[in-house]
Amino acid sequence: MRKKAREFELYVAGVCVVLGVLLVAQFRTQEYIGRAQIPSRRLEDLSDMLRRSDAERELLEKEVDALRKQLAAVGEGERAAEAVRLELEKARMGAGLVAVEGPGVTVVLDDSKRQAEPGESPEVFLVHDEDILKIVNELFAAGAEAISINGQRVIATTEVRCAGPVISVNNVRIGPPYEITAIGDPTTLDNALRMRDGILDTLRTWGIEAKVQKVTTVRVPAYKGSLYFQYAKPVLEGAQK
Amino acid sequence: MLPILGLLIGIVIALFTPVRFPTVYSDYMAVGILAALDSVCGGIRAGLEDRFDRVVFVSGFIVNMALAASLTLVGDKLGVDLFLGATVAFSIRIFTNVGIIRRHLLHARPRRTSGGSRDVTA
Repeated sequence: MRKKAREFELYVAGVCVVLGVLLVAQFRTQEYIGRAQIPSRRLEDLSDMLRRSDAERELLEKEVDALRKQLAAVGEGERAAEAVRLELEKARMGAGLVAVEGPGVTVVLDDSKRQAEPGESPEVFLVHDEDILKIVNELFAAGAEAISINGQRVIATTEVRCAGPVISVNNVRIGPPYEITAIGDPTTLDNALRMRDGILDTLRTWGIEAKVQKVTTVRVPAYKGSLYFQYAKPVLEGAQK
Repeated sequence: MLPILGLLIGIVIALFTPVRFPTVYSDYMAVGILAALDSVCGGIRAGLEDRFDRVVFVSGFIVNMALAASLTLVGDKLGVDLFLGATVAFSIRIFTNVGIIRRHLLHARPRRTSGGSRDVTA
């Protein structure tokens, strides 16, 4: 009897070991699931918020439309000169024809100091046009209002293109180190660049030196090139098909 | 004593190894846990009733687990939560067995100390 009792305890104990492992693993899995899911309550709140802001946006768009019409009407009236001057100022700001200053970040990029090992392409250790484009893109996405690259203001027609050993921006050749200056919310801009697996992480993999600095006042110069439209002609409002 | 020790060993092993199942198999694991719990209860009950058979015990454990898992799989494919059936069946059995074990233990204690035979009525 005693021996038999031992035997059954042994077998039950064996299954208990399996049970213990399963229990802990399952707890862990459930905890993981719980953490990964967004509570449905929150989801509802968010979709409601989205719907409301969509409606709001529609209203605002209508308002913009009305205001534009009003502005056009005013332009024909006696305050035409003033309205035109204001509009012109805004347009010049938007086009990047005015030097601006404000809080922002500066990014300094330099080629990697690392020597390429045999079999490695030395190309990957250089700063490419793509890298700069990605940073500029990221900065604009994070709400940057004005950006310049080595003193070249980025405007609507600015190209960032590989030109042999240097990079061409606004048809001006620039070489390393590249300094990108952006005006916007410094924290947001800084975070956008430092995002995990973001642009800085990628560049650092290749040893490219990238220094980001938040600054309280930074100057972004005006676009200095010429504006010449050979092919594009403005479409008069109301004349669209 | 030994089963509790086993359980603790299992928990400790799992705590020190980062086992985690893919979330997709969460249902399977839940049913598997119930099958193991059911086997443990059944085994203890059989042991207390002195009719423990290791072949029955081990085969029962494995077959129950496999059956529960395949039921869950079929349910998954059919879009019916068949694993709930296994859950209910195991839960009922666990309750029954724990009840019987409880009675055995309650009656066994005075019997062991006095040594005399007592009327065992549940």
